[in-house]
Amino acid sequence: MLILKRTLLTLCIVLAATTALAADKEHGTVISEVTLFVTPDPQAQKLGRVTRGRDIFLMDHTMVDNKPWAHLLAVVDVDVERETMREISGWVPASVVVTTSTPNGDQIIYGEAVDSENQAEQRGGRKNAADDARRLYYRLYEYFPSSPLAGEALWRAADILWQLEKADVRRRPSSREMSPDMRTPMDDQTLKLVIKKFPHTKWADQAAYNLIDNKLCGSWKGETKCPEKESELYEKYAREHPQSPKFAEALFNAAWRQGALVTMYRTQHEQDKSEKARRKAMELAQEVAARSSESDPKLADWKPRAMELEYSLQQGIPTYDAEADRK
Amino acid sequence: MVRHWKKFELALLLLMAMAAALGAGAYAAEPERATLIREDSLYASAGANAQRLSQVGRGSALTILEHSTADGQPWLKISMAADQEAEVSREVTGWLPAKAVVTGATANGDQIIFGQAVDSEHQAEERGGRKGAAEDALRLYSRVAELFPGSPLAAEAMWRAADIRWQLARTSFVRTGKPMEEKYLLAIIAKFPQSKQAELAAYDLLESKLCQEWRGQAECPQKESAVYEQYAREHPQSAKAAEALYNAAWRQAALTDIYRIENDNAKSEAARKKATALAQEIAGQYPQGDWKPRALDLIYKLEKKIPIYGAFIE
Repeated sequence: MLILKRTLLTLCIVLAATTALAADKEHGTVISEVTLFVTPDPQAQKLGRVTRGRDIFLMDHTMVDNKPWAHLLAVVDVDVERETMREISGWVPASVVVTTSTPNGDQIIYGEAVDSENQAEQRGGRKNAADDARRLYYRLYEYFPSSPLAGEALWRAADILWQLEKADVRRRPSSREMSPDMRTPMDDQTLKLVIKKFPHTKWADQAAYNLIDNKLCGSWKGETKCPEKESELYEKYAREHPQSPKFAEALFNAAWRQGALVTMYRTQHEQDKSEKARRKAMELAQEVAARSSESDPKLADWKPRAMELEYSLQQGIPTYDAEADRK
Repeated sequence: MVRHWKKFELALLLLMAMAAALGAGAYAAEPERATLIREDSLYASAGANAQRLSQVGRGSALTILEHSTADGQPWLKISMAADQEAEVSREVTGWLPAKAVVTGATANGDQIIFGQAVDSEHQAEERGGRKGAAEDALRLYSRVAELFPGSPLAAEAMWRAADIRWQLARTSFVRTGKPMEEKYLLAIIAKFPQSKQAELAAYDLLESKLCQEWRGQAECPQKESAVYEQYAREHPQSAKAAEALYNAAWRQAALTDIYRIENDNAKSEAARKKATALAQEIAGQYPQGDWKPRALDLIYKLEKKIPIYGAFIE
């Protein structure tokens, strides 16, 4: 009996220790930029800065002067400009650490991500706030995959990365090349992850829309093959994603490119092709106007835009400046 | 008797003819107003070979004086203010090709002008977009409300015009210190009271009550928090109500830090309680969208005493 009691006691101690250890070693992130210290003391040697949304591994807790500290293994920036980083362990004030066991942890990380995204959009907003937002959104998806916010968060992380890459690509001279094959494509891994993890959702539809960017010409240089191909791509997207929030925009883009072809073919004295493009543009524009709901503010603008395009085509007003495009 | 009747009929006919002539005169005196949806040249006479006088921008306010045909195309003689932005400007007259001119009588004219305004607004937002596109959008939206006051797009168009003007004025204010004119936003509130556009205009107007810089003083966030909270209470249905309440809560959270730095712990604690209460109200009242997570993030930071104002300065 005594042996049994001892065994049970030992088992309880082992279980408790294992649970405590497991609870300590949690993945998470920080919701405010903090300094990593060698010891849990603000006067201790500084090891680096941990920026918002960095992946952290919580190893230990302690209290110093009634303040909680967390021992982490974190990725820190060595040189922000050169984007160099390394994994390092150290101590940070525990208040900024959000882990998988933090109540409402998904909402808190998401809220901080939205805040960072707003900062990035503001003139004079915090430097590198877009990267903070992207990391925070991704951490939410990674550590709270069953959260109702996970799909939206992964899509936003992928979209921010896409926009940042797009801006980067536009700065390169190759971005003005006509063929999309002449430039380095934007990394589509995260967008494809959205489609894979959340198929048939509005996030997957939006991710698929972004992917079209990689197939667009850098510049048309007055050649008809670019708007022809692009119009096809946008129309195909609209047909395959009729429920997408990007449906009307895609169809309008297809119509607008057909409208541009009217002018391009006319300049080349190909009246038949010009007339065919005009009819196609009118057809598509009418479809946009008919299917854009005025009650949805995000779609409401597409109806007047389509009607303006239709009117311009009827009146023979050029919708595309060939000279400007050749420059 | 018959003769008398004939005389009376003749007089009546004369009277009717005079009335008709007067009516027609009055109708002719009513100028036909219009606008342009593409930039074009103003010509000295009808015809593409005539002398070009100036460029006419999208959304310019035009008065049609005469119709004509040249080279098989319809042309219009118009008069317009030489400076479309000035309140008082000299008039210029000239000829324009009619195809890009939209009048109050153009079928779906409100949608067409609005569509071009949206297009110009997008151009203005795009990197490398057309120069002056924001001003084009502003003028085009203004024309929708002027030429089609009964259109379902009139209120939205008037609001967008006023908002673009406000944003442009803000940029100018930052650069030159020129005060921002409130009359266009006030006009929406007067013309479309209780509409969502009036509520958005009222929100824009709060900006003129904000401090340019806080300089670490409690007075500014205190006043601004009250301004935002008052807006949220007075416009509970506004699209900006949650944002206003969040702004009020965020300023109270900043006050928690400001008072703590000033060693005024009682006021710091009061501000913390107020910020938490406001943030909880947001989380409870606006469960959809981005405001609930932002409010919960703020509550968490307040609980954990993570600096809000200091972090912002950093």
